[in-house]
Amino acid sequence: MRPVYIVGAGMTRFGRSEWPLVDLASAASLAALHHANLGKVPVDAVVVANMGAGRVNRQTALGSALVDRLSLWPAAAEAVENGPASGASAVKVGVQAIASGMADVVLVTGVEMMRAVDGLEATDFVASLSHPEAEYIYGVTLPSLAGLFTRLYMARYGVERRHLALVAIKNHDNAMKNPYAHIHQTVTMEGILTAPEAIVNNPPVAEPLCMFDCCPVSDGAAALVLASDSVADKLGAPRVLVAGIGQATDTHAVQEREDPTDLKAVRLASAAAFARAGVKPADVDVVELHDAFTILEIAESEAAGFFKPGQAHKAVERGETQLTGKLPINPSGGLKAKGHPVGATGVAQLVELTWQLRGEATGRQVAKAKTAYACNFGGFGNNVVATVLRKEER
Amino acid sequence: MNDKVYAFRCKTCGRVSYPKHAVCPKCRGETFEPVEISGEGAVLTHTDVYALAIDYETRYLRLAIVELDGGMRVTGQLLDEHPKIGKRVRTTIGVVRETAGKPIYGLQFVPM
Repeated sequence: MRPVYIVGAGMTRFGRSEWPLVDLASAASLAALHHANLGKVPVDAVVVANMGAGRVNRQTALGSALVDRLSLWPAAAEAVENGPASGASAVKVGVQAIASGMADVVLVTGVEMMRAVDGLEATDFVASLSHPEAEYIYGVTLPSLAGLFTRLYMARYGVERRHLALVAIKNHDNAMKNPYAHIHQTVTMEGILTAPEAIVNNPPVAEPLCMFDCCPVSDGAAALVLASDSVADKLGAPRVLVAGIGQATDTHAVQEREDPTDLKAVRLASAAAFARAGVKPADVDVVELHDAFTILEIAESEAAGFFKPGQAHKAVERGETQLTGKLPINPSGGLKAKGHPVGATGVAQLVELTWQLRGEATGRQVAKAKTAYACNFGGFGNNVVATVLRKEER
Repeated sequence: MNDKVYAFRCKTCGRVSYPKHAVCPKCRGETFEPVEISGEGAVLTHTDVYALAIDYETRYLRLAIVELDGGMRVTGQLLDEHPKIGKRVRTTIGVVRETAGKPIYGLQFVPM
């Protein structure tokens, strides 16, 4: 396989978009293309990551639409749908195209416009990824799967609501330093947990999870330009290598897993990504996790191998995952505060990590970051893509 | 009206799976017979969810994963004023959703 480099990264601010879907995708794509500064080097293929435009925005065939908007004909183009892991899956498709020799330059753009519909419809759209007979018909939504998971995790490992609140506080603090984040608001332990009015500020969503444990519903787009070794060399850009990608699936219905608190697909995907990259979790300097719910940041950080099972919440309490800690997690603000336009998320995680490795994450830069890891969590853990990036010295 | 919920017993190895798989996860057998899901068990975990999908006019739903005696687990609606992990319940069948005015039947759990 040929090595693949990320030579450009860009995104729109997440939040509520006034622009139509393709304008949003186009803005992020242009930001990444400008960042890559390709000059006359052609884009061979475009891969769009999106989960729900067919239903939510009544638009399909987004690959063709984006090529047209960017006048990139006759580039190859397609859209990839893999639930909330669509983003990293699309990056994987782009990486495979270059690694195999089928392409030298690929644009990967993740986009989602979920706020085109009301909250009820948006929640139902995401819930449609659950098992139709064993989950969805009962009123299962993603928050409810997270609530069921959280109660079990708390009972097993002694995680308390204050640990979840610490994750939210940290990620909101990080998002304050990220101009692309959806939510720019600091939160405090008093305001969301301990003060008498906390129940009003932070109402339950799926007990024991409350509003500040859950990501917002966002619009947004994020894009990466991938290139072969020879193109990356020609561009002279910092060499951010896609060092390893791992992917694994698990049972569709959460209840069918041997141990429903074990995020097996995260474990397997991460182990595969680390093995391909030739690094260990201890070598990683900066991490982006799929914290659609605060509990997931804790559970994924264990399943990925950064902490032993039941230990991550203690590391959170010691401040180890803060921006200045031993292992900064979600410097971007995570899904929790940066926002979660589902199809864009997996791409946006790698945009943040590319900026971190290039030393361009102004205001939230992790010092001397050389190796980075991202977990893009699809379904409720039934399809996970893990990616390891590494900066190579020229 | 389909007022029963079925698991599937593999005709090759006897393993009971739920939900349905076309291939047995244990022995890769491809022939099954339906087995009605009913009985007693214990609440593995539960939640009150306020972020609801379409089709519901209630303020929240109480959902649970129950481990039935014998080990199989099922997700359903918990009809219990005082839910608790480990509490004994039995299955019943009721209307769990109404889509376009049409009732959908599924598993509910009531305390023993």
